[in-house]
Amino acid sequence: MSLEPRDETDHRAWMQERDLSPIEEGYLYGLIYLDKRLRIVDYLELMEDMYYKINLQMPKSHTEQYNLDNKFWYWYPLYSLGFFSIIAYIVAAVTGGILGFYYSPSTAEHPEYTYVAYAHVAQTIMIDLNFGSFLRSLHRWSAQIMTAAVFLHMLRVYFTGAYKEPRELNWLLGIVLISLTMVFGYTGYLLPWSQLSYWAGQIGVEMALSIPLIGEWTAQLVFGGFTLGEPTIQRMYILHVFILPFVVTALIAIHVGIVWMQGIAEPH
Amino acid sequence: MTERDHTEGVRTDGGEAQTDGGETDGGAGLPANVPPDDQTPTWHDRKARTQGLSRLTYEYFERARYEDQVLRQESDYVERDVLAFPTWPHETIRNLAITSFFLGMMFFVSAALPPHLPDPADPANTPPVILPDWYLYWSFGLLHLDPINPNLAILGGDKLVSDRVYGVLANLVVVGFIAMVPFLNKGSARRPVEEPFWGALGVAGVVFAITIAIVPIQNIVAEFIDIMTINLLFALSFILPVVAFFIAYAVLKTMQEGYMYELNKRYYRLRPPR
Repeated sequence: MSLEPRDETDHRAWMQERDLSPIEEGYLYGLIYLDKRLRIVDYLELMEDMYYKINLQMPKSHTEQYNLDNKFWYWYPLYSLGFFSIIAYIVAAVTGGILGFYYSPSTAEHPEYTYVAYAHVAQTIMIDLNFGSFLRSLHRWSAQIMTAAVFLHMLRVYFTGAYKEPRELNWLLGIVLISLTMVFGYTGYLLPWSQLSYWAGQIGVEMALSIPLIGEWTAQLVFGGFTLGEPTIQRMYILHVFILPFVVTALIAIHVGIVWMQGIAEPH
Repeated sequence: MTERDHTEGVRTDGGEAQTDGGETDGGAGLPANVPPDDQTPTWHDRKARTQGLSRLTYEYFERARYEDQVLRQESDYVERDVLAFPTWPHETIRNLAITSFFLGMMFFVSAALPPHLPDPADPANTPPVILPDWYLYWSFGLLHLDPINPNLAILGGDKLVSDRVYGVLANLVVVGFIAMVPFLNKGSARRPVEEPFWGALGVAGVVFAITIAIVPIQNIVAEFIDIMTINLLFALSFILPVVAFFIAYAVLKTMQEGYMYELNKRYYRLRPPR
C-alpha cells in the first residue's frame, strides 16, 4: 500500500506557490524539518493556550478604576520586596555554589585553625582564593538581605490586608517559606564552625531536646546526637546545600505562581 | 458500534471492521478498532458521559466556566493589553532598573562591609553572650519566658511544663497565631485606617518582636542604663507592645475620622441633604 501525500500536507508545494524571501524560506524549512520529527505544532498550541491564560481579561484594579496611579507610585518599593528577596536568593545560590567548591564540612583537627571546616573558610576561601573574601561577604550579605526582605514583605502583606479572602493559602505558604528561610540561615550560620556557630548549634540541640516525647529522636535526626561534632556539621551541610535549596525553590515557584494566578492585591 | 466493542472483541479476520464503511482499505494497513471520524466521541462528549466524581468535577467546571464568562461580561472588566501598564517595554525596563540598582547595592555593601569571622569553636569556653543571628532574636527571646511560666499550687508549686518546653510552646503559639490571621480577619478592607484594631495589632506585634529580643540580653542592657532593673526590663517588654497598640489604635482611629469626614464632605457636596 502506498499513501500519497494529500494536497494540504504537501508543504513544499505550498512554499513554492508563495513568494518567500530567503530568510522566510530558511525559517520554514527549519520549522517543517523540526515539526516532522518533534511535532512542534502541539506545543505551539500549548503556548498559545498559555498566552491566552496569562493575558486573561482582568478586573480593573482599584488604582486604575479611580486613577490613583499618581498617588500610589511611591508604594511601589513595598510591592517589590518579594522580588528583592528572590534576587537575593538567586545571588546567594550562585555565590553559595561557588563557595561550595572550596569548603568541606569536617570537624577533623587542623594544625593551624583547630578544625578543617574553619580552616577552609578562614584560609582557603578568605585568603587563598581570588575574590574569596568578597564572595563570602556577598553570600552572607545576600542571605541577610533576603531574610530582611522576607520579613518586610510579610509586614507589607499584613498591613495592606493582602492575605485576605482568596489568598489565605498563600499566606500559610509564606509562613512556611519564612520559617524555611530562617532554617536556611541557621544551617549556614553553623557551617564555619566558629565560636558563634558552635554555641548557636548548642541552643539548637537544647531546643530539640526540650520537645516532649520526641525530643531525643529529633536531636538525633537533625543534629546527629546530643553533643555537637562531625555528624552535626555534615547534617547542617546537607540540609543547607541539598535539601533546602530544592524545597525552598519549589515552594517559591508555587508561591509566585499563585500570586500570578490570583493577581496582586492592591490596597483599596 | 462503540469503541469499547472493538477493543474488547477478539479480531479474527477483520471482517467485522470492513462492514462499517470499508474505509480500512481491504484490512491491509489500518487496524480495525479505529472508529470512523463521525463516530469518534469528542473530549467534550467523553467528559459529559462520565459518572460519579468525575461527572461532578465536569459539572462544576462547566459552572465555573460559565461564572467566569458572566464576570468577564461585566462592565468593570477591561482588556489588560489596552488600558494597563504594558509589560514591554515599560514594566520590563522598570524591573531591570530596580534589579540592577538592587544588585549594585548588594555588591557595594558586601565590598564595603565584609563580615567578621569569629574564633574557631571552643566547647570548653562559653562566650559571655550567646546569640543567634539577628532574625532569630525574637524566637530566642521567646525561649526566655521562665518568669511567666505559671506554677500550679495543686502540684505543690511545681511548674506544669519545664521552662524549655514553655519557650518552644510560646514560639508555636506566636507562629500559629500569625498563621491564623487570614481566618480571623475577613472582609475586603485593605488599609490599616479601615481596620484600626488589626493595624494596631500589627504595630504591637512589631514592637513585641523588638522588645522580646532584648529579654535574653537584659542583664547587659540593665548594666548600661542606670534606671533599668532586670525585672523592669522584663515587664517593659510586655507593657511597651500594649502601649504601642493603644497609640497606634488612637492614631488610626483619628485618621479614620478625618478620612470619613473627607468622604462625607465629598458625598454631600455631590448630593446635598434635603
